[in-house]
Amino acid sequence: MMAIRELKVCLLGDTGVGKSSIVCRFVQDHFDHNISPTIGASFMTKTVPCGNELHKFLIWDTAGQERFHSLAPMYYRGSAAAVIVYDITKQDSFHTLKKWVKELKEHGPENIVMAIAGNKCDLSDLREVPMKDAKEYAESIGAIVVETSAKNAINIEELFQGISRQIPPLDSHENGNNGAIKLGKQTTQTTRRCC
Amino acid sequence: MSSVTMEARCLEKRGSFFKLIDTIASEIGELKQEMVQTDLMLEDGSTDLQSPVKDMDNVCPEKKDLKGCPRDSGYDSLSNKLSILDKLLHTHPVWLQLGLNDAEAVEILQSQPPGIFLVRKSTRMQKKVLSLRLPNEFGSRLKEFAIKESTYTFSLEGSGISFADLFRLIAFYCISRDVLPFTLKLPHAIAAAKTEAELEDIAQLGLNFWSSPANNNPPNPSPPRRPLPSDNACKDSRQLCLINGVHSIRTRTPSELECSQTNGALCFINPLFLKVHSQDVSGSLKRQSPRTQDVNGTEKPRSPPPRPPPPSINSLLTSPQLSTSIKQASMPGTVNHNKYRNLDLLQKKPTPVPPPRLKKQAVSLEGEGNAKTVAVIRSSHNSVRGSETACDPGEALCEQNLTACRKTLATNSESLVQWNGGRQRLSDMSISTSSSDSLDFDRSMPLFGYEGDTNSSLEDFEGESDQESMAPPLKPKKKRNSSFVLPKIVKSQLRKVSGVFSSFMTPEKRMIKKIAELSQDKRTYFGCLVQDYVSFLQENKECHVSSTDMLQTIRQFMTQVKNYLSQSSELDPPIESLIPEDQIDVVLEKAMHKCILKPLKGHIEAMLKEFHTVDGSWKQLKENLQLVRQRNPQELGVYVPTPDFVDVEKIKVKFMTMQKMYSPEKKVMLLLRVCKLIYTVMENNSGRMYGADDFLPVLTYVVAQCDMLELDTEIEYMMELLDPSLLHGEGGYYLTSAYGALSLIKNFQEEQAARLLSSEARDTLRQWHKRRTTNRTIPSVDDFQNYLRVAFQEVNSGCTGKTLLVRPYITTEDVCQLCAEKFKVDNPEDYSLFLFIDDTWQQLTEDTYPQKIKAELHSRPQPQVFHFVYKRINSDPYGAIFQNNDDNSTL
Repeated sequence: MMAIRELKVCLLGDTGVGKSSIVCRFVQDHFDHNISPTIGASFMTKTVPCGNELHKFLIWDTAGQERFHSLAPMYYRGSAAAVIVYDITKQDSFHTLKKWVKELKEHGPENIVMAIAGNKCDLSDLREVPMKDAKEYAESIGAIVVETSAKNAINIEELFQGISRQIPPLDSHENGNNGAIKLGKQTTQTTRRCC
Repeated sequence: MSSVTMEARCLEKRGSFFKLIDTIASEIGELKQEMVQTDLMLEDGSTDLQSPVKDMDNVCPEKKDLKGCPRDSGYDSLSNKLSILDKLLHTHPVWLQLGLNDAEAVEILQSQPPGIFLVRKSTRMQKKVLSLRLPNEFGSRLKEFAIKESTYTFSLEGSGISFADLFRLIAFYCISRDVLPFTLKLPHAIAAAKTEAELEDIAQLGLNFWSSPANNNPPNPSPPRRPLPSDNACKDSRQLCLINGVHSIRTRTPSELECSQTNGALCFINPLFLKVHSQDVSGSLKRQSPRTQDVNGTEKPRSPPPRPPPPSINSLLTSPQLSTSIKQASMPGTVNHNKYRNLDLLQKKPTPVPPPRLKKQAVSLEGEGNAKTVAVIRSSHNSVRGSETACDPGEALCEQNLTACRKTLATNSESLVQWNGGRQRLSDMSISTSSSDSLDFDRSMPLFGYEGDTNSSLEDFEGESDQESMAPPLKPKKKRNSSFVLPKIVKSQLRKVSGVFSSFMTPEKRMIKKIAELSQDKRTYFGCLVQDYVSFLQENKECHVSSTDMLQTIRQFMTQVKNYLSQSSELDPPIESLIPEDQIDVVLEKAMHKCILKPLKGHIEAMLKEFHTVDGSWKQLKENLQLVRQRNPQELGVYVPTPDFVDVEKIKVKFMTMQKMYSPEKKVMLLLRVCKLIYTVMENNSGRMYGADDFLPVLTYVVAQCDMLELDTEIEYMMELLDPSLLHGEGGYYLTSAYGALSLIKNFQEEQAARLLSSEARDTLRQWHKRRTTNRTIPSVDDFQNYLRVAFQEVNSGCTGKTLLVRPYITTEDVCQLCAEKFKVDNPEDYSLFLFIDDTWQQLTEDTYPQKIKAELHSRPQPQVFHFVYKRINSDPYGAIFQNNDDNSTL
């Protein structure tokens, strides 16, 4: 049986850019009815296979309004990854994104995996943020970048697969053979904690 | 306690008690009908069950007690009726060797006859395995069968039969091979043992048993039993007994069920699986299955299968004084006499508190729902032996009386005769001397026998009910009044009943109960640790500087104690044998809540209140709550349906229930229900999914509407005390959100003040400052938020500019209206607001926000020249605007 690793992922970005739509799309497509659904869309989970492991994403949505900004550290604390969403039709939202990246670099967890999602790519007529800008920016900060459309289910899976790949696999010997019961226990705890 | 008061209480509670008895009686009736084997005891069994009704007015029901006393089981044991399960439970230090490595297992087993087994944890497979000695003709000497652990059960890999714990699994494979090549065989010495004392002797040897002379094999070891033919279903259970030469399984009458705790398991196979594997199961087991299923189906439809009556390790009554001593002990006078004499006796002999790591063999604690500790007074006090023996059964009764007294008499137990729960350390008791010569003495001294049993099992029953009624919907609800105080006689009668109930308990609950009992027992290191900490906290209010400090210390203590418990040998049998590995931490966490948070809840609440009153945060919260409550939802940023008055009342009720819980997990469960309700209202059947952008404002609104200051401490309690591993999950998320909502409310005033410049404005302003310091030196008024410089352009009169007061959320439509007034336009419908930028005109639609546009333009990396111009829609503006170029540049 594959080990399940719980990974906390937080969603950041301006209000209205489609943070929760992305997650709803991700979680509800190929919905596994065996997994008990969460009570609402602000917190959702989905388990995906990755190599020898199963990654269970615990996705924390944040409120994008400025007045909730001060609460954000409570949400991104302990995250293994952050998905920062902007709206390709709103230059403003791309500026907010940069602000979030900066904050995460300064105050976020170490080695947090950052993924930039340019949502609403179905509305390319109204595009304000060139793909090139986003790519260059993502490269400069070492983040994953994709343009997504929650509406048309474009690149949603890819976004999270990208995150999965960036998560370092558990140390094999930590998982492995030399442990008595005690070590086994510690392994489970580490698994929990690392997310 | 006077009998008058007690009788009054009896009457008070009789109604509900009758109901309970009725249920049980009908339950037992059904059991009877399903029973394959009937015997004469049936009549007695049913009378016994109803006897409490008759005995309500009788203060001294010795006769009944004697008859129904579970200790009668002692006689059973004397006639060699130890089941395989009992033998396994007693001797687990021999065969359950989790720390053994591959080589050591081979070493031990190769010299054993075929069929002999060990259970250990394979480091290679990272699993528990059953290592089985094979007959020589099989080629290899040893085969390992992996044990699969799911969330609730243990099973052999490849088999469809699951068991609640390891003991039941092994016991089953001793009589049925299922996926094994043949049935397991107990070492001869264990199989032949006739008394628990013999088994204890063997258990004391531990791993050394295998190499000791005790493990001498019978002259002609019988070959391991070959697969049973499938037609063996008709064979009766007696034949099964022969497999290992011991009594194994037989069906029970209700009377046996209630009074015997030492006999073989009623059914240790999950009946759900019986159909699949029935060919491997003996006929008697097959016949049992419908019965258990029935119980399962009617009584607790969704609960795990019923447990067999817990076997007991407790000492047997071998003394002929038995009956007299019981009679004596149950007389009120004698009770006290015995009690105090006993106490004196104890206090005379101080011995040190047991060390943290005890030898497994030393503690004889029995899990099965009624933990009984066998205390030993050092062998040098053999002189007291006689009286102690006499105390044994009497103690059980008088303890019950005392328990009843304790429950009904006083709330504060400082002055109570609480001789094992009080403050003084009972260091005069030692857990054990492990020398075998003291064994018979050992067995005659179960001092805390039934005290622990009845008291805690009933308390558990009550305590659980107030919590459990709020448990997740999957669990069956126990409808029971939590303030139900049982009169002592009822209680003594109920003891049997509770014994039956505890046999329905899941291993998890049994384990939690056992740990909770252990935490009350100051003779164990764990008990001392917990009790000392609890009383230290209660007595030293000044030891923490802040509420967070206090809660974090408690959390740390719980985590440390958990670690201790999972590694110490004080839990016997080891927790690994009863609880699947991935559940151990969960179970330990629940146990911690029960034995640490439950007694401390009141203290913690009082302290939190004190901290927040002193630091003024409650006052601040109170004032701000008032302010926020006066706002309408839109002012709080809520643009979705909100809970109405009725919903808010429902939510308040849930929050109030939350306050009664001591377990942070159960509190969180209620918080989740509140959030679920909020979502339901928000979605309002629209099917729309709402994320945090919408949810958090609504939650803030709801929290304000509930107007409960206590929520603040509730959230704090959960935030700090919840198992850290749960903080990343759904509970952790909504807890964070609730905390966020509360802190928004607490800082509402400050936020309002800061909002004079709107939030976006502040940010733009910051960016603006940055840009300004490089490009311009003096800011002009229109750069500030809330002001907008608008040029008015008429074809004839040229261009004039005005600075207007325009707030960030004013739409273009409103700005146009304002311009029409300011510039005295007669036909405003012909005019509109335009943005002139990059030499192009953009007409702004009515629903845009000019201030936002301005903010966005200002924040662009390359500053651009732009103007807001109010002008005629259809005029040709081009020449006009540039005619007034100078004017515009000063904007």
